[in-house]
Amino acid sequence: MSTTATLTSAPTSTEPVVARAAPRRVTIGGVLRVIGLGAWLLITLFPLYWIAITSLKAPGTISRFPLEYWPGELSIENYRGLFEQSNFGVFLANSAIVATTAGATATLIALLSAYVLARFHFRSRGAVLVAFLLTQMIPAFIALGPLYSMMSDLGLVDRKFGLVLVYVAISIPFSTIMLRGFFQNVPDALEEAAMIDGCSRLGALFRVIVPVMTPGIIAAFIFNFVNSWNELFLSVVLMHAESNRTIPAALNGFISTFNIDWGSMSAAAVLTILPTMVMFALASKWIVQGLTAGAVKG
Amino acid sequence: MTAASTERPAAATAGGGAPGSRRRPAFRARHGLTILAFLAPAIVFVGWFTYYPMLRGANMAFRDWNLWDLTSTPFIGFDNFATILSDPVFPTVVRNSVLWVVGSLVPQLLIGFALALALRKRFRFRGVYQALVFFPWAVSGFLIGMLFRWMFNAEFGVVNDLLGKVGLIDAPIPWLADPTLAMVAVIVANIWYGVTFFAIMILAALQSVPEEMIEAASLDGAGKVRMLFSIIIPTISMTLLLTVLLRIIWIFNFPDIIYAMTGGGPANRTHIVTTWMINFTQQGNYGLASALGLCVVGFLLVFCAFYLMAIRKADQS
Amino acid sequence: MRHLRSAVAATAGLSMIALAACSGDSGDTGDSDGTVTLQMVESLTNPDRTTLIRGLLDDFEAENPGVEVELVSPPTEQADQTIQQMLQSGSGVDVLEVRDITVGPFANNGWLYDMSGDLESWDGWDALTDNARAVAEGDGESYFLPYGFYGLSLFYRTDLVDEAGFDGPPSSWEDLLEQASAIQDPSSNTYGYAFRGGQNANSNVVAAIEAYVIDGLDTENAFLMEDGSTIFAAPEAQDALETYFALFEEASPPSAVSWGYPEMVEGFNNGSTAFLLQDPEVIATIQGSDTLSEDQWGTAPLLVGPTGRAAQPLAVAGWGVTEFSEHQEEAVALVQFLASEGPGTEFAQANSLVPPIASASDDPFYSEGPWTSYVTMTENPDTYVNVTQPRDVSWWTEWIQKSDQEIQSVLLGEMTHEELLTSWDEFWTEKYAAE
Repeated sequence: MSTTATLTSAPTSTEPVVARAAPRRVTIGGVLRVIGLGAWLLITLFPLYWIAITSLKAPGTISRFPLEYWPGELSIENYRGLFEQSNFGVFLANSAIVATTAGATATLIALLSAYVLARFHFRSRGAVLVAFLLTQMIPAFIALGPLYSMMSDLGLVDRKFGLVLVYVAISIPFSTIMLRGFFQNVPDALEEAAMIDGCSRLGALFRVIVPVMTPGIIAAFIFNFVNSWNELFLSVVLMHAESNRTIPAALNGFISTFNIDWGSMSAAAVLTILPTMVMFALASKWIVQGLTAGAVKG
Repeated sequence: MTAASTERPAAATAGGGAPGSRRRPAFRARHGLTILAFLAPAIVFVGWFTYYPMLRGANMAFRDWNLWDLTSTPFIGFDNFATILSDPVFPTVVRNSVLWVVGSLVPQLLIGFALALALRKRFRFRGVYQALVFFPWAVSGFLIGMLFRWMFNAEFGVVNDLLGKVGLIDAPIPWLADPTLAMVAVIVANIWYGVTFFAIMILAALQSVPEEMIEAASLDGAGKVRMLFSIIIPTISMTLLLTVLLRIIWIFNFPDIIYAMTGGGPANRTHIVTTWMINFTQQGNYGLASALGLCVVGFLLVFCAFYLMAIRKADQS
Repeated sequence: MRHLRSAVAATAGLSMIALAACSGDSGDTGDSDGTVTLQMVESLTNPDRTTLIRGLLDDFEAENPGVEVELVSPPTEQADQTIQQMLQSGSGVDVLEVRDITVGPFANNGWLYDMSGDLESWDGWDALTDNARAVAEGDGESYFLPYGFYGLSLFYRTDLVDEAGFDGPPSSWEDLLEQASAIQDPSSNTYGYAFRGGQNANSNVVAAIEAYVIDGLDTENAFLMEDGSTIFAAPEAQDALETYFALFEEASPPSAVSWGYPEMVEGFNNGSTAFLLQDPEVIATIQGSDTLSEDQWGTAPLLVGPTGRAAQPLAVAGWGVTEFSEHQEEAVALVQFLASEGPGTEFAQANSLVPPIASASDDPFYSEGPWTSYVTMTENPDTYVNVTQPRDVSWWTEWIQKSDQEIQSVLLGEMTHEELLTSWDEFWTEKYAAE
């Protein structure tokens, strides 16, 4: 399988060239670059810092002057309240189950459709692509009412399975388009060879091509996961029981008629952001690499 | 949008010639069944859970469909469209939508580009840096809206506090209560959110710029700025243009931040088309909401067509 | 056939993954063992209230073996929309929160069950107040039993009023303007009035107008005068707006343009504003305040107009049963349980509402502290006239959004008071003419 080996390294091969160490020399451009990078890092992280600090202030000190940039006493009261007064652990688990299942299923299905859309010419190919792209332009709110009726007729309201189905459907178009770009960059000689060796097409796809495309597949999965993890409106409408609630819906619940519970809200926000942030941090290399290798060549 | 599928010259394997002419045996044989079977799950899902409800929803656009009175939902032709177009709020919403898209997109593109250029060369901790600055992309729009609503809070918001500490303001600014500043605030939030996407896409595209070209140019004594405009931008222009198009569609259809921060207020000054649509659904008037949704689709289709035509023309000349 | 096989395998594999990963869902309302499961939906959701309701439901379940109640609590912002979707689909709800705003449309669409037959034999009827009975009887159909009433009263800071040199809280809108302006001191982050400029801003504007036109007001439909014209066309409405909007100009934080319920309550709660016009529900919130101590605040009756009288637009909400419920008998029993003396009083007290239960007003709970202003209002029905607003019309939500937006336009100086009144007068005149 020497072909595979060379190909796996193909996407990374662009990097070493870029990475050549320049002689250490202080230039104006270099200084600007460092300042700019530092400034943007500050701007990006400050809101996160602020929400984290807010979540660690004791209830009652949040709206107190002067504002504390580093609270005199750190308190985990907001977090304790979150888990004691609501089933936040259950909500986290629900979101994790739904987003993982929907993300994985959508990525798999998109992998199949992206494959044929990249490899074969057939009359309706353009139509399928346009139909997929069109879904990106239609505001989801049009479909909310009819979707609810349909799910209710199918007995899928208030079931994680139902929510997963809807999230899969929403995720498929974009990830298909994305993955199609990756396939176009993998030479078809690869799977031909495998098929001549006796693999079925599906076998060739999963045994030969998929390993080469790992970065792209991870990127697509994370994209789908994040979208499902964050989705609010459908989750609120389709899931009723508290035991089925997802995190965005729970967050929305901190805005009650009387007040916005900023303490609980910020604690919940931190717990919502952390998993996706960690995931993103671990995979950010692959995401850039995946996109380099695929979607946007040209 | 069809261009998106043909716009990749690098993808020679799927070249657009006559079907089968340059195909190798494995791809030339008739594969109707394979194609169908591989596509089926995707088509079933998208058709069933997206298109079917959307078409049923579109039907409401031509009916007097108000949840508060469903005793009769008569067909009323294009009345809903007429109601929307003649609504005194409509021009404001259109103006806001343009402001929202342009005001968010241009800074996102510029900052994203700068960030990508700065990240192009490897440096120590680049991986860590990347992971840190890319994270806004993973946060939901609703949550970002709430976050910035808290920071822009007039009395207890950190933005006013910081501005006051620096000495730029004497009295707290009621950000979200002022018609102009409210728009500024929601756009700032959106810029913060969207820079990442551009940075990732452009960074990815930058890696397709052959290093030899850059080296050759720098040997010729070309300055950094000239290099940017004569080599880098032309090379990745197609990616840039398509990314911009995707973002326009996406930002246009993105109500979450505004919904969470201002709900479209004050006095409709931050209502964009999609938040206005949410407004109609909250009134229970699904007829008007659907009609507005169809207007959005129609507008975006026309816009895309013109945009892609313009790109193609520029590409040929 | 290799292609077919692999394709089938792929599809089957995917469905398996999807299905396997999703097992362990909560099942349907299973009736196999004879247990009846009722689905109950609330709409004015907040965490404390949800806990309270759950406690009452547990009591109900204990009293009624074989009946289980599942409580659905959508986030307030999304609740009405969610409930409408559920009702429209015709399944999944047995008992629901019905408000004066929603009862008309819901009944009109055939979604609510008429309980009048079941109430004839209900032994809890006699325990209700007259107001509550009137609501329950409706126009001949009983679509819901009230859990309580919402009426406005003025929350004020006793210490700030004192420091500013006033003897007591304001009694009229003019007094309020005077006191609030005197207290206003932006440099020390102290403001006079927690002005409502955001969501539902219309409610307080209308309350002010009604106080000024009270002498000619149609109490059955408090948007109309006795002669059938709208209150917005009355000359006194102009004066009402002068005073009311002056409150914003002279005595409110500028950010109040976008203040809705949460911001207003928060503004009072954190000590930055001295006056707040709100429902009794807020009492519980402020009692739990971390910033205000008990002797720093009190409540006063609703503000009167120039003729010394005010209109109290009582709002009401309660529980009803859906027309399509498969367990109507049990559902009605649950609604009756919630409206009966013990649970009804408990709910109204914990939620700080004007109770629908007659005996509750004897409870010292209501004759002390923040509740005294409500007692004062109840004892002086000629000064504080209970009126009914036309909240059940099908265009009510349209009205709310329209009027809220126009109020913000006035606050931003883009619309005059006259234009506002003309616009509202035309809106209601046209809607009624089209009926």
